[in-house]
Amino acid sequence: MTTTARLKFKGITKTFPSVKALSDATFSVKPGEVHALLGENGAGKSTLLRILSGVSRQTSGEFYVDGMLATFKSPEDARRAGIAMIHQELQQIPNLTVAQNMFLGHPLKTAGGLLVNRREQEKRAAAALAMIDPSIDPSTPIKNLKVAQRQIVEIARALLENAKIVAMDEPTSSLTPAEFESLAVIIEKMAASGVAIIYVSHKMDEVFRICHQGTVMRDGNVVGTVNLRTAAQSDVIAMMVGRELMQEEHNSFVKEDVRVEVRGLSSAVTHVRDVSFTVRRGEVVGIAGLVGSGRTELLRLLAGVDKIGSGEISIDGRALKLTNPRSAISAGIGLLPEERKREGIIPMRPVSLNMALPSLRKFAKVGVVSHSTVNNTAETLLKRVNLRPFQIDRPIKLFSGGNQQKAIIARWLAAGSEILLFDEPTRGIDVGAKSEIYHLIENLAAEGKSVIVVSSELPEVIRLSDRVIVMRNGRIAAQLERHELTEQAIVSHAVGDAEPNTYSSTQEHTHV
Amino acid sequence: MSDIAAETPKRSSKLFSSFSLRDAGTLIGLIIIMAVFAALVPGFLSERNLINILQQSSINACIALGMTLVIISGGIDLSVGPTAAISAVLTAALLVTGVPVPVALLAGLGIGAFCGLVNGVLVAYVGLQPFIVTLGTLSTYRAIALIYTGGNPVLGVPQSFRSLFNGNVAGIPNSVIIVAVVAFGAWVLLKKTPIGEYLLAVGGNEEASYVAGVPIALTKITAYVISGVLAALASFILIGRLGAAEPILGNLWELDAIAAAAIGGASLMGGKGSIVGTILGAIILGAMRNGLTLMNVQAFYQLLATGLIILVAMMIDRATRGRG
Repeated sequence: MTTTARLKFKGITKTFPSVKALSDATFSVKPGEVHALLGENGAGKSTLLRILSGVSRQTSGEFYVDGMLATFKSPEDARRAGIAMIHQELQQIPNLTVAQNMFLGHPLKTAGGLLVNRREQEKRAAAALAMIDPSIDPSTPIKNLKVAQRQIVEIARALLENAKIVAMDEPTSSLTPAEFESLAVIIEKMAASGVAIIYVSHKMDEVFRICHQGTVMRDGNVVGTVNLRTAAQSDVIAMMVGRELMQEEHNSFVKEDVRVEVRGLSSAVTHVRDVSFTVRRGEVVGIAGLVGSGRTELLRLLAGVDKIGSGEISIDGRALKLTNPRSAISAGIGLLPEERKREGIIPMRPVSLNMALPSLRKFAKVGVVSHSTVNNTAETLLKRVNLRPFQIDRPIKLFSGGNQQKAIIARWLAAGSEILLFDEPTRGIDVGAKSEIYHLIENLAAEGKSVIVVSSELPEVIRLSDRVIVMRNGRIAAQLERHELTEQAIVSHAVGDAEPNTYSSTQEHTHV
Repeated sequence: MSDIAAETPKRSSKLFSSFSLRDAGTLIGLIIIMAVFAALVPGFLSERNLINILQQSSINACIALGMTLVIISGGIDLSVGPTAAISAVLTAALLVTGVPVPVALLAGLGIGAFCGLVNGVLVAYVGLQPFIVTLGTLSTYRAIALIYTGGNPVLGVPQSFRSLFNGNVAGIPNSVIIVAVVAFGAWVLLKKTPIGEYLLAVGGNEEASYVAGVPIALTKITAYVISGVLAALASFILIGRLGAAEPILGNLWELDAIAAAAIGGASLMGGKGSIVGTILGAIILGAMRNGLTLMNVQAFYQLLATGLIILVAMMIDRATRGRG
């Protein structure tokens, strides 16, 4: 033994009554190492983290912290052993102060032991925060902080507890690029002081940027541990999904005829103003812009969800009168909403009926829905979108986000929609499903359907779009043709800066 | 993980999908209650008493069917009792003045539908909460029935009307047959028609249903109108039995109906409910009352037993759900 591993997993297995979630996981993390845990949703990463943090217990196998066998009976045991978890959804109490949150569960007592020593808490909290971001005042309520600052509080809490192992589950899902940069610096500092960091993220650029080693998991198994300093991104992704992802290059299927024409469209309820553009048959038009630039709101106008103030939408030369989503659907428009859970799915209903919902009347003879027709259509279309697991009468809430998204795509195929509006089609979806959805979008375009894609991920917009509309403050700031598409060009129009070069290299891979 | 866990269950058969596991649970509950009373009360399982139980459950079952549809849509209808009262006194008054039975009947159902329509419009278009809307109409409709009759019962419902609802065919009470037909209709509506799927969708996720083009207002209003019509129908069964229509009839019917629907698996959060379950739930409550009455148990204790059975049913429901 040269250096004792800070953390060592040996044959960790976790079985649930019906399923093996984790099978014989074995790998180790050295002190000062930033170790990525990679894999698609359902690969077993969260199960492993839950075992590490004492929330659940392994069925067999063991793990060691600094060479000592860990037998955690509760999250508290794990905390005492020096393990800190930083959750994706921050587990903080909004009305309590930063210091109170940092000492939650084990407050510092005064000499008598009866009262909480708030002054001492705040002093120590401030000391811990000073190492990362001295601008955060320990006496402000958590709710007054931005999400990135709250994340910093969580990390400071880990420092405060002298954590030896810090596990971060998707820490950057709500951070801006600049905030990610400061997080990266903090992680580097922590690692330099000997802390072992386990980093879970779907964002491969980030992982390659800050992690040294990566353990790839798939279907509950450890596929292998790779050195991320030397490995190629495509190889790692192939390990994660168990197959080579197809060449990610753009294919164009644009036909001559203009299908959708939008003239001077303004919203009655949001700040979308005077939007004009066209979409051809077989064309994929991307809509980019900062959060709040009116991208989603524009799609909602086109889908009949939001009320139109003025302007006109016509399809194949015929002007539409959109009063509600129903009228848009009968005009052949289908929307895949940004917030799947809230606006997309009927959680308890089977996938097949979630698919059939807008077109039930088509499936009905004399007012009675033919379930065999619904099922036949569902079999065909859900197979086409590659629903997994392929169980069409299972409640949709039991499927992963990616598969829910596929079902909603099938919904509009069933409805015969010719114009498809995708709002953040791959948000929260793992790499494999993402590439499937890209190919689906391409297939739809190849069939001659017109597609509009809103996305915050610039590589995604560029990968998919024949043309990109950049929005700013509710208006169209620019329309970029395929040959003009670069991340820099999009960003500069999105922020309204004429001089693209003033944007530093940190703007690469941005999530605008 | 969810992806792996998903591999286990198989596609359920056709028969199974219309008679769910939850319904099987309700049926087992009914069988247990029947078995207990069979052991305690001689003659409980006699043909006559079983028919009695069905007859005694018919009014609640009729109301509960409408309630189930409303609950599935994410609402609640507290005004069913007073709706029944308005419809009863109007129908009886028309009959007494010599209006032909079919006309009086249609008028009664029509006023029930109208009461439901008012509820539905207030919920769907004005956007008030169903609980508050129907709490308001609960008082309003009751007051209208009382004002209309001056608080006095309408007596002298003609025999032709009474035999229609209180007679029997081959020993089966007409009320049981009527409710069976209504239940079949409700089952078809929920399982086989677009509006049934819309009810489940609106109750399950209204926002998503709207985006998917479901006619939200129409769907909700349909549920309340059906509930109003079935309240009227239930009142016919009662006045057929009594031969008189009291403006105070139907007091607390809404609670029995909600209980039957909940025992049968309807979720008060909406999006979930079963016609078969609701019928079984109504029979459970009917069998309890029948059995306890035969045992000469005091009314106070009957109330206690009814309350406990609802709580126990819900706890079993809770414990068996969300596992696996």
